[in-house]
Amino acid sequence: MSNEVKAIFEPKSVVLVGASDGIREGIVSPAFFHSLVHNMHRFEGKTYVVDLSGKLEGAIKNLNQVPKGRDLAVVVLPSKLVMKNWRNLLNLVMKAIVLVAGGFDQQQREELARGVAKRKVCILGPNATAGVINTSKGLCATLERGFMPSRGGIAVISQDSAVGMAILDWARFHGVGVGKFASTGDSVDVTEADLLEFLMHDEETKVICIYLQSVRDGRRFLGLIREAVKKKPVVVMKGGTAQDERDKIFAAYLKQVGAIRVDIVEELLGVADALAKQPPMPGDRVAVVTNADGAATLVADALSRKEFALAKLSDKVTKKITRKYQDINIVEWVDLGIGAKADRYKFVLEQVLSDHGVDGVVVMNELKLSFLEPEDVQAIAEVAEKSKDKPVVSVTMAVGAGVLVREAVKGKNIPVYDSPEKAVLALDALRSYWKTRTRVEKGV
Amino acid sequence: MGLAAEKGKVAEILNSTRKEGRRELMELESKRVLAAWGVPVNRTELARDISEAVKFAREVRYPIVLKIASPDIIHKSEAKGVRVGLSSELEIRQSFGDLIDNARAYKPDAKILGVTIQEYLPPAREVIVGALQDPSFGATVMFGLGGVWVEVLDDISFRLAPLSAEDAREMIQEIKGYPVLAGIRGTPPADVGALVDIIQKVGQLAHEFSEIAEMDLNPIFTFDDGKGAMVADARIILVESK
Repeated sequence: MSNEVKAIFEPKSVVLVGASDGIREGIVSPAFFHSLVHNMHRFEGKTYVVDLSGKLEGAIKNLNQVPKGRDLAVVVLPSKLVMKNWRNLLNLVMKAIVLVAGGFDQQQREELARGVAKRKVCILGPNATAGVINTSKGLCATLERGFMPSRGGIAVISQDSAVGMAILDWARFHGVGVGKFASTGDSVDVTEADLLEFLMHDEETKVICIYLQSVRDGRRFLGLIREAVKKKPVVVMKGGTAQDERDKIFAAYLKQVGAIRVDIVEELLGVADALAKQPPMPGDRVAVVTNADGAATLVADALSRKEFALAKLSDKVTKKITRKYQDINIVEWVDLGIGAKADRYKFVLEQVLSDHGVDGVVVMNELKLSFLEPEDVQAIAEVAEKSKDKPVVSVTMAVGAGVLVREAVKGKNIPVYDSPEKAVLALDALRSYWKTRTRVEKGV
Repeated sequence: MGLAAEKGKVAEILNSTRKEGRRELMELESKRVLAAWGVPVNRTELARDISEAVKFAREVRYPIVLKIASPDIIHKSEAKGVRVGLSSELEIRQSFGDLIDNARAYKPDAKILGVTIQEYLPPAREVIVGALQDPSFGATVMFGLGGVWVEVLDDISFRLAPLSAEDAREMIQEIKGYPVLAGIRGTPPADVGALVDIIQKVGQLAHEFSEIAEMDLNPIFTFDDGKGAMVADARIILVESK
């Protein structure tokens, strides 16, 4: 199925099918269809807009008028109209059909599945309301406007569309890059496992995030995660745990196959951002570099809760730093002083990263609302981007200042968090992935 | 014995249970399955009458354990059907009759085969290994320490079967009560390697035989490091026949 699944993310041509009249409410309403058409304006391939009601200006009125052999169709029609046009859709499309609306009964679902069984066409959905995104191709087949995130190495699979949209919105708002996104909905054909199988081989994807509510064919799904983590990390968030007595068992399965589990959207993307931008963490020893002495206490607390240790810098490194900057104070952490500038951050971070007693670094950058100099933050990012075997994550605790800091390092490979806990959770995931990789390499 | 022979032997015991219209294997049958699969179990013999009981007791060597053997009695302690540490022929003769009477009183229509004579195991750290078939994920293994650890504290770990030695070791180390096995306050460590082996074998067994709905090896006596571990009681339940 991989070739057809590929066409979901990388179609050369897309047909958008809707009916902008007659239906006023819900998923198939004209407002959503118009948003879809709008969202696709940056698509680099060919887009055909078909409005079966014939009302939308400039749109094609009939499926028969679209040249046959198109790669992908995104269909925003109620179940009844989908079934009525099913044969035409199948004749039109060569590879994949996204069914946005839900509400298909069992008989209709079977008919859908039968329709594609004989051909090399796959179905995403029905009820795949949040649609599909591939930022590097300008493909944005979603129903709400303004949800296109910036480019990045994170791929997101969401069974639920509203949760999927929330993930996209969070990513866009926080400047976290998402390369590919798909909502699977009711999965009469393509499942999250099929998408996982595609994404694990996808060069652009550095991290795979999955939001699940139920698992079909659990054994295959786990087997695929086990394969995927050999190449890239997989982060899983699961809904419906309160009603599930077996959740503890599911947690154990995920651990066994090397997936990283999180509980909330913020953690999902926070952790994924670090996994996409920084190397895995080879141990437990964390150096904290800060411009606010007191605030580092909170980092130390958060580290201790996740069973990290504060790294003890070697005499050599300590001397090198204090010889150059006599006022830098190194006890439990490295206190640069509140006015620390780019040169200081850069020099100290380089020294700290060169220390064999350090496995990873949390760098704090506080009190930036009044006097942020973008180059100070960019210096941190520069060092972090060069570090190939130890991760660097950054914290700016105030949310407002965090926005400024993130803006200054936009597109750079350093994750920025607004709390020590989130930064430490990111390190925890990087450490967990290092363990997984080590296990895989040892072949156990 | 090759894997095929082991499989054949297990299948034979499972089939004969099915043929009798039962889903629950008796302790003796469960232990035979485990023994055929290479899991160490304490020696267990079925005695149909007193003279067989006396004969087996001599063979197994005193002290011994006596347990009621009935396909209709699963909770043997509840039926007052267990005697531990009997050390003479006289005790066996008395206990044999007692156990049969207790069983009749507990469940008048129970089919009673006799009693099992079992090797007595010296005190050791007790653990539980179980298996279940998850509807979506398949064979799954469970591990915990015996007694309150599992029942009260819910201190259990799980893994999908089949599992690697590393998986098995992790699931042992991940329970909160692990220090009990690792050795605390001067006690020597328990034979974790022997448990790793049992866990892996139980995983393979559950994976190979999807008709096994549940397995409960409880307790497993875990001796000090290097001295092994041994299943003292076991229960296997088959899936409902289609």
